[in-house]
Amino acid sequence: MTPKPPKGHFNILYFASAGSYTSKNVEALPAPLPLRKLFSTLEERYQGIRASVLDHSLVTINLAYADVPDDKAPEDKDEIVIQEGDEVAIIPPVSSG
Amino acid sequence: MATQDPNSHESCLSKEGCYVALTESPLNLQSITDRVRSPQAGAIVLFAGTTRDSFDGKPVKELQYTAYQPLALRTMLDIATALKTKHGLKGIAMIHRLGVVPIGEESILIAVSAPHRQAAWRAGEEALEECKARVEVWKREEFEAGEGVWRANRDGVKGERIG
Repeated sequence: MTPKPPKGHFNILYFASAGSYTSKNVEALPAPLPLRKLFSTLEERYQGIRASVLDHSLVTINLAYADVPDDKAPEDKDEIVIQEGDEVAIIPPVSSG
Repeated sequence: MATQDPNSHESCLSKEGCYVALTESPLNLQSITDRVRSPQAGAIVLFAGTTRDSFDGKPVKELQYTAYQPLALRTMLDIATALKTKHGLKGIAMIHRLGVVPIGEESILIAVSAPHRQAAWRAGEEALEECKARVEVWKREEFEAGEGVWRANRDGVKGERIG
């Protein structure tokens, strides 16, 4: 299974088109990270990923779906923050069957 | 209860007449049928989805499935338990194959049992549609021409070409 992320990091899993775009299945990113900054953080690392993958993908944190807020939104004390040790996943449109 | 049999590469979840699994091995029609068999059932409906050799007229060489396994199993069990209640099923079992699935072989099996056939037919169809819409499994098609595509089930989405 996925190795535990190093201290001060969370794991992010890339499935299907997200994995093809980043050429990896998993990596560790620095935590904590407000969820609203996730897509811009990934766009900095993988230019163009937002338009081609993230804009039509869903996000889970520890196996639960989470709504990604607009990153232009002002800081909110109740906002979701990805924590050290969390498992985040990019879920592109599914195609089972 | 989650279990993993290291020999068969099959991981599964089960709960009160519901069984869901992911496996890298070929699927077996008889064994999934036996999982839902019940003396109170008057019908078992079995659906087998098989891999097709073309998409939009383009010949497909090979199909490969990948999954977010713990989440896909959880979603499959959610679907199964909801349909069991909704249609008064005696049993429901769903298994999806992962990895390379040769053309013409089964990629998914769904079996449902109910006291009467109407509920079984309806539940079987709904189970497949719910799976295709929600379960965290992805299909990649490799075309004879050499390119590969991650397919999307969502209506109108053609999948993203990956070169």
